[in-house]
Amino acid sequence: LLLPLASPLSDEGKALMSIKASFSNVANVLLDWDDVHNDDFCSWRGVSCSNFSTSVAALNLSSLNLGGEISPAIRDLKNLQSLDLQGNNLTGQIPDEIGYCVYLMHLDLSNNILYGDIPFSISKLKQLDFLNLKNNQFTGPIPSTLTQIPNLKTLDLAQNQLTGEIPRLIYWNEVLQYLGLRGNSLTGSLSPDMCQLTGLWFFDVRGNNLTGTIPENIGNCTSFEILDISYNQITGEIPYNIGFLQVATLSLQGNRLTGKIPEVIGLMQALAVLDLSENELVGPIPSILGNLSYTGKLYLHGNKLTGRIPPELGNMTKLSYLQLNENQLNGVIPAELGKLEQLFELNLANNNLEGPIPDNISSCTALNQLNVHGNHLNGSIPSGLKHLESLTYLNLSSNQFMGSIPVELGHIINLDTLDLSSNGFTGQIPASVGDLEHLLTLNLSHNHLDGHIPAEFGTLKSIQEIDISFNTLWGSIPEELGQLQNLASLILNDNNLNGRFPNQLTNCLSLDNLNISYNNFTGVIPQGKNFSRFPPDSFIGNPLLCGNWPGSICDPTPKI
Amino acid sequence: RVLSRRRLGGPGSSPPTCRSKCGKCLPCKPVHVPIHPGFSMPLEYYPEAWRCKCGNKLFMP
Repeated sequence: LLLPLASPLSDEGKALMSIKASFSNVANVLLDWDDVHNDDFCSWRGVSCSNFSTSVAALNLSSLNLGGEISPAIRDLKNLQSLDLQGNNLTGQIPDEIGYCVYLMHLDLSNNILYGDIPFSISKLKQLDFLNLKNNQFTGPIPSTLTQIPNLKTLDLAQNQLTGEIPRLIYWNEVLQYLGLRGNSLTGSLSPDMCQLTGLWFFDVRGNNLTGTIPENIGNCTSFEILDISYNQITGEIPYNIGFLQVATLSLQGNRLTGKIPEVIGLMQALAVLDLSENELVGPIPSILGNLSYTGKLYLHGNKLTGRIPPELGNMTKLSYLQLNENQLNGVIPAELGKLEQLFELNLANNNLEGPIPDNISSCTALNQLNVHGNHLNGSIPSGLKHLESLTYLNLSSNQFMGSIPVELGHIINLDTLDLSSNGFTGQIPASVGDLEHLLTLNLSHNHLDGHIPAEFGTLKSIQEIDISFNTLWGSIPEELGQLQNLASLILNDNNLNGRFPNQLTNCLSLDNLNISYNNFTGVIPQGKNFSRFPPDSFIGNPLLCGNWPGSICDPTPKI
Repeated sequence: RVLSRRRLGGPGSSPPTCRSKCGKCLPCKPVHVPIHPGFSMPLEYYPEAWRCKCGNKLFMP
C-alpha cells in the first residue's frame, strides 16, 4: 500500500463510524467524520472527549436534519455522559444497547420520529439525571423500572403515544423535579401518591385519557409550581384542599369537573394562571376571586356558572385575559371592570347579561379583543369605545343594542373584525367605517340600518367579508367596491337596494360568495370574468333583474 | 428548591418576596415567567411560574 497508513481507530472511533453509517442525510453535516483523513475523532463535529483521554464523553448532533437510525454501536461509547440527538428526523427504535452507556447523565432524543417501546434498558442508566423523549412516536407503557433511576430530575415523555397507567412507583421519588407527560394516551387515575414527589415543581399530564377524581390530598403537593391536568376526563368536585397548593399555574380545563368553584381558590394569591374552563362547574363566580391581585389569566368559560359577574373582579389589577363566555351569567357588566388597565382580552359571549356596556370599559386601554356576543345587552354603543385604540376584535352581535353606529368607530384603526349583527341598530352606516383599512370582516347584518352603502367601503383594502344583509338599505351598490381585491364574500340580500349591478365588481377576482337576492336590482348580471360562477340563488328575488336562470325576466330556456 | 412561602396554619399562597434571592443585584422583583412545555398548539398559552428578576437576569425564588 502506498497510501499513508492511518493509525487504526480505537473501538470508540469505529463505533462512531458505525453510528454515522446508520444515519442518513449525513453528507453535509458529518463531513469531518472521516477515519481515512482524520483519525482524531475527538475533533469531529459534535464529539467531545473527556480531559486526558480519547474517550467520547459527549455527543451533540442536535438539529442537523439527520435521518436514519441510532446504531446499536452506541454501546461502545462506554464513557458517554451526554447524548443529544434532539431535533432530527431519526426513526427506528432506541437500541437496547443504550443500557451499556452506564455513565450517561443527559439523554435527549426529543423531536424525532422514533417509535417502539421505551426500552427497559434505559433503567440501567443509574447516573441519568435528564431524560427527554418528547415528541416522538413511542408506544406502549411507561416502564415502571424508570423509577429505579435514582438521580432522575427531568423526565419528559410528552407528545408520544404512550398508553397504560402512570406507574405509581414514579411518584415515590424525592429527586424528580420535572414530569412532562402531556399529549399521550395514558389512562387510569391520578394517585394520592403524586404528592410524594417532594422535589417536583412541574407536573403536566395535559391531554391524556385520565379518569377518576382529583385526589383529596392534592394540597399536599406543596412543591408544585405548575399543575396541569387539563384535557382529561377527570370527574368529581374540586377539593377544598386545593387551596393549600402553592402553584403559579393551575390548569384544570377540559375535564368533567362538577360542583362549585371553591371559595378557597381566592386565597391562592400565588396564582398567575387559573384555568377552570370547559368543565361542568355550577354556582356563582366567588367574589373572593377578586383577591387574586397577581393573577394575569382567568379562564372560567364553558361551564354552567350562574349569578352575576362579581364587581370585585375589577380588583384583579394584573389581569390580561378574562374569559367568562359560554356560561349562564346574568345581571349587568360591572363598571368596575374598567379598572383593569392591563386587560387584553375580555370575552363575555353567550351568557344572559343585560343592561348597557358600561362607559368605564373605555378605561381598559390595553383591550385588544372585546366579545359580548349572544347576551341581552341593550343601550347604545358607548362613545368612549373610540378610546380603545388597541382593539382588533369587536363583537357586539346578537344583543339588543339600539341607536346609530357612532362615527367614531372609524377611529379604532386596528380593527380586523367588526361584528354588530343581529341588534336593533338604526340610522345610516357612517362613511368613517371606510377608514378601517385593516378590517377583514365587517358584519352589520340583521339590524334596521337604512340609507346607502357608503362609497368609502371601496377603501377597505384588506376586507374579505362584508355582510350587511337583512337591513333596509337602498340605493345602488357603489362601483368603488370593485377595488376590493381580497373580497371573498359579499352578502347584501334582503334590503331595498336598487339600480344596476356594477360591472366593476367583476374586478373582485377573489369573490366567491355573492348574495344580492331579495332586493330591487335592475338591468343585466355581468357575464364577464367568470361571473357566471354564481348560482341563481345569488340573484333571486329581484323581479327586474335579467340573468341566466329559470324564472328570470330574460330566462333563456324556451317556454312551453 | 421547595418553595417555603406557606402561611402557617391555613390554606392560601402568595407570590415569592424575592428578598435577597438575586445575589447582590437590586432591585429583586417577582415576575411571571412562561415555561415552554414544548410542542403546544398555536394560540395556546404557556404555563407560568414565579421567578425573581433583577435587570434581565432571573433567579429562583
